[in-house]
Amino acid sequence: MGWDPAVLARIRHLHLRARVLTESLMMGEHRSRRVGQAVEFADYQEYQPGADLRHLDWKVLARSDRLVIKRFVTETQLPCTVVVDLSGDMDTGTTGRGGYPDLDTSKAGYALTLAATLLFFLHRHGEPVGLELLAGQGAAYTSLPPRTGKNHLQQCFAALATARPGGRANLGQTLLAVGGRTRRRSWVGLITDGMEEPSEWLPAMSAFARRKTDVRLFHLFDRGEWTLDFKDAALFYSPEGGEDLAVDPGGAREAFAEVVDDYVSEVRSGIVRFGGRYVPVGTDVPLEDAIRRAILDGVAEGTWA
Amino acid sequence: MGLSLLSPLALGIAALVALPILAHMARQTPRERRAFGAMLLLERVVKRLRRRRRIKDPWLLALRVLALLLLALAVAAPVLSYRDQTPEFGGSGRVVLVIDRSASMSMADRGSTLFARARADAVAVANSLPEGTLLGAVVFDGEAIRLTPALTPDASSVATRIGDLSVSGGTSNLRAALVEARGLLGGEPGEILLFSDEAGPRIVTDAHSELERIVQGGSAVIPRTVAPEMRRNVAVVSAAYGSGIEGGTVVIRLANFGPEPREVPCEVTLPDGARVPVFVDLPPEGEAEERITVPPEALGGVGRVHCEDPDLPLDDDRYFHLPRVGASRILVVDGDPGDTPLRSEVYFFERALAPWGTAQTGFRPDVTTPGGLSTLDTETYRVVVLANVGDPRPIGPRLTEFVRKGGSLVIAAGDNVTAERYNAAFASILPSALRRSQALADVAEEGVPLALPDTRHEMFAPFARSGRAGFSRVRSHRVMTLEPYAESDDVRTLIRYEGGVPALVERTVGTGHVVFWTSTLDLGWTNLPLQAVFMPFVQRMVTVLGGDTSGGSARIDAIVGETVAVPLPDLAAEPDILGPGGDPVRSRLDGSRVVFEPETAGAYQVVLPGAPPLAWVAVNTDPIESDVRAYHTVEEAETELDPELFRAELELGSGLLGGSAVLILLQSLLMLRRRPT
Repeated sequence: MGWDPAVLARIRHLHLRARVLTESLMMGEHRSRRVGQAVEFADYQEYQPGADLRHLDWKVLARSDRLVIKRFVTETQLPCTVVVDLSGDMDTGTTGRGGYPDLDTSKAGYALTLAATLLFFLHRHGEPVGLELLAGQGAAYTSLPPRTGKNHLQQCFAALATARPGGRANLGQTLLAVGGRTRRRSWVGLITDGMEEPSEWLPAMSAFARRKTDVRLFHLFDRGEWTLDFKDAALFYSPEGGEDLAVDPGGAREAFAEVVDDYVSEVRSGIVRFGGRYVPVGTDVPLEDAIRRAILDGVAEGTWA
Repeated sequence: MGLSLLSPLALGIAALVALPILAHMARQTPRERRAFGAMLLLERVVKRLRRRRRIKDPWLLALRVLALLLLALAVAAPVLSYRDQTPEFGGSGRVVLVIDRSASMSMADRGSTLFARARADAVAVANSLPEGTLLGAVVFDGEAIRLTPALTPDASSVATRIGDLSVSGGTSNLRAALVEARGLLGGEPGEILLFSDEAGPRIVTDAHSELERIVQGGSAVIPRTVAPEMRRNVAVVSAAYGSGIEGGTVVIRLANFGPEPREVPCEVTLPDGARVPVFVDLPPEGEAEERITVPPEALGGVGRVHCEDPDLPLDDDRYFHLPRVGASRILVVDGDPGDTPLRSEVYFFERALAPWGTAQTGFRPDVTTPGGLSTLDTETYRVVVLANVGDPRPIGPRLTEFVRKGGSLVIAAGDNVTAERYNAAFASILPSALRRSQALADVAEEGVPLALPDTRHEMFAPFARSGRAGFSRVRSHRVMTLEPYAESDDVRTLIRYEGGVPALVERTVGTGHVVFWTSTLDLGWTNLPLQAVFMPFVQRMVTVLGGDTSGGSARIDAIVGETVAVPLPDLAAEPDILGPGGDPVRSRLDGSRVVFEPETAGAYQVVLPGAPPLAWVAVNTDPIESDVRAYHTVEEAETELDPELFRAELELGSGLLGGSAVLILLQSLLMLRRRPT
C-alpha cells in the first residue's frame, strides 16, 4: 500500500495530537474486576463456611483467633476497541473545533481525533487496542481487532487518517456485527452522533451486554445543531439523503429543544439499560476535557478493572 | 329580532373571501439549502409542529374569512331591529302608575312578596320622574281605584299614597285598571306603567280591548313585570261536602301550578273543630283530588281546608259549607208517653230508628213532650215527628216556620189527635185538612191491608228488589181521614190501603215536607210496628225527609272583594255580618237583602241577636288567582296591536367595520408568529 503524503501528514497530525493529549493526562493503573488467584493483596474477608482454606490467614488466626480469608487482585490486559461512526451525518458541524484551530469543524473531525487519542492512550497503557469504522469511505482498514504493538497502532492511525465520512451507518446491524466480534469482558468506546432511530439501534447493544463488555457511548453532538442556532429559514437536508425540510429555525427552536431533550433521554436510558455508560460529548468542548471526562473519570470511579 | 341590509349588493364583496383562502394555501419555500446532521431530530420537530398547525391554521383561515365577511357586511350597512323594553317613560310628560294588589301578588319571593317589590319599584319610579311630569296612580284587584283624582305634578304625594298600599285577596281586573288609567290620561297620549305579575290565563286577554284603545290613542302600557324566581304554587281550588244523611265526604281538589311534583300536607277542619290531616301528591302542572270522610255526626257551618304551601299563602285555605251531618237529632214528640216505656207511643218508632244505639245507624232520636218544642233548633233537627200529640197549637207556628225553612214534619195519628186542633195549628202546611178518625174494621178483626207501594217513589225505591210484599201484611183497623184533596206536584199520596183510603200523604212546602201517617206509630190502630218492613220503612222515610235539607240557614259561596247579597226573610231588625274572627263587618240593607264586601277569605255569618245564623257565607279567593303561571303578556298583546311599539333599530355598519379591522389585526399577529416550518 502506497502512502499518500497528505495521508501521512494526517497520520502524523493525529499521532501528535493523540500523543500530546495523552501525555497531558494523568495516568493511573487499572485493575481486573476478577478477584481470586492473583499477585497483589486486595483485602480481607470474614471466613465463610465453604471458603478455600488455602487463603486462610494463619498469622491473623494465631494473633487474634479470627478466621479471615485473604483476597487478591489480578493484573490483566484489557482488550479495547474503539468504534467510530463515520456516516454522512457526521460530516456536518458548525463551529466546534475541540480547541484546535486546525481541526475540522465537523463531528467526524472531532470523532477521529478522539478515537486516535483513545487508541494512543490505551496503547501507552499496554492494552491491546482495536478499531471498528462504521460507514465512511476511503479507509485503509475498517476493522482491526485488538492487538498490542506499535505497528498495529500505526495501522489504526492509518485507518483513521484515510477514512472520510459518508453513507449510512445502519447502526442496528453494524453494532450487532461488531458486538459479535468483540471479546468477552473487553472495553468498547462507541463514538457516534446516534442519528438513527434509537429504537432501531439501541437493541443492538444487547450484543455487547451478552459478552459483559464495558461499553461507553461517546454521544457526539454539535451544539449549534442541537440548539438550531441558525438565523434564516432554509431547506435542511441530510448528507445521507432523504427529503429536504423547509424550516424556520426561529419558529421551530422551542419545539426542537423539547425533541432533543426527549431524544437524549431515550438514548441515555437505552444505553444504561444494557449496562453501558452514556457520555455526551459536544464538539465545542476542548478535547482534553472530553477525554478526561470520558476516561479518567471512569478510572476514578473504579469502573474499569 | 330582525336584520335588514341597506345595500344588499355590497355583499358581493364577500366573494373576496376566496383571496385569503388562496393566500392561506400558498406556502413560502426558502431558497438556501443547508446540510444538517440532526435530521432525525428535525423530522421529529416537523411532525410535532404539524400536529399543532392542524389546530392553529384553521383558526388563521377562519379569522381571515371572518374579517372579509364582516367587511362585506359592514359595506352592506345592516340594520338590526330588536325588541326594546320601552318607549322611555316620562317622555310624554304624562305617566300613570298602575299597581296590581290582587291575591297572586302576595306570593313570597326572595324574602319579600311580589307586591312589596312592585310597590317599591313604583315608588322609585314616581320619585325619579323628571320634574314637571304629570303623574297619576291606579291600584287594582277586582276593582280599580284611582289614588289621584287627576294627574298631578306632585310626585312625592303619589309616591306616599303608593307606599301606603297593601295587598288584597281579590281577583285581578286589569281591564278596569286600564279604564281608570286611560281616564286619568284624559284622552292625551301618555305612558301607563303596569306593576303586575301578569299571572293567570285571563288577566291580559280580558284586558285586550282596553289595551287596543290605549295603543290606538297613542299611549302605551309599559309592563314592569315582577316575576318570582320560579312560578309555582299549590292551591286548594275547591272543597265541597257530598251530602247524605248518614254522613258523607268532603271532596277537596288541589292544583299544582308549578313544574315540579309536590307532596302537600293538608288539614281539613270541620265546623265543630275536628281536624282531619291528609297528604296530597300532586303531579307537575296537574291536579289531585282527596276525599275526607266526615264523621257520622258533625255540626253544620263552614269548614276549612288548609294546605301547607309557602309560595302563595292567601290561597292555602279553602272554606266550604258543611250541613248538619247525621240525622240523629230527630225530634220525636211523644203525645202519649204511657206509664212505662213499653207503653209509650213512640217505643217502637224509637227502637226502629236506633235499635242498637246511635253508633250502628247514625240516627239519634231525641224524644220529648210537646212542651220540649220550645227549644226547637232548626239547625240541629231536620225531622220532627209528632206522634199522637193531642194539641199542637202552641207549637204550630214554630213547626210551620221549621217546615218553611226546609225541615220535615211527620204527623202520626192516634186517639189524642183531633182534627180541629191540627187544622188550626197546621192549616197552611197540611196536605189536606183532617176530617175525623174512622174505623176500617172491627178491632177483633185483622184490619185492612196496605196496598203495594209504588217503588218508583224515592221513599219506597229500596223495596223494589225485595220487601215490597211486606207492606201488604200491614193492616189497620182505624185511620184518620182527610178532606178530599187533589193530587199535585206538592200533594201526593205515597201509599194507600186496599180500598183506596190514604195511608201516607206528603205535602211539599218549599224545601220542607209534611208527611201525614193516617194511622198510629204504635199498635193502637195498626200492626205496622210488628211487621218486618217497619224498621227499614221508618229509617228510609227519615233518611229521605232529612237528607237534602241543611237546616234553616242559607248557605252562600262568595269571592273575596266581590259584593255578597244575602236575601232576608221579612224581618224587623237588620242582621249583623260577623267576619271570620267574629268581628262585625260593614254591611248595608238593599231592599230585602243585606249586602257586604268581604275583604278576606273565611267564614262569615249573617246573624240576628239571640237566634241561629240566618246564613253562612264561605268566602274564598278566586281560584284563578292561584294560577301564577305566565300566559299571554301585556307586551305580547301590545306588540300584536302595534309591532313597532317595542322595537328599536341599531345600525351595525361601523361596528362590523371595527370588528373586521380587529380581525385583520389579529390574523396579522398570528401570521407574525407563524413562520414556515
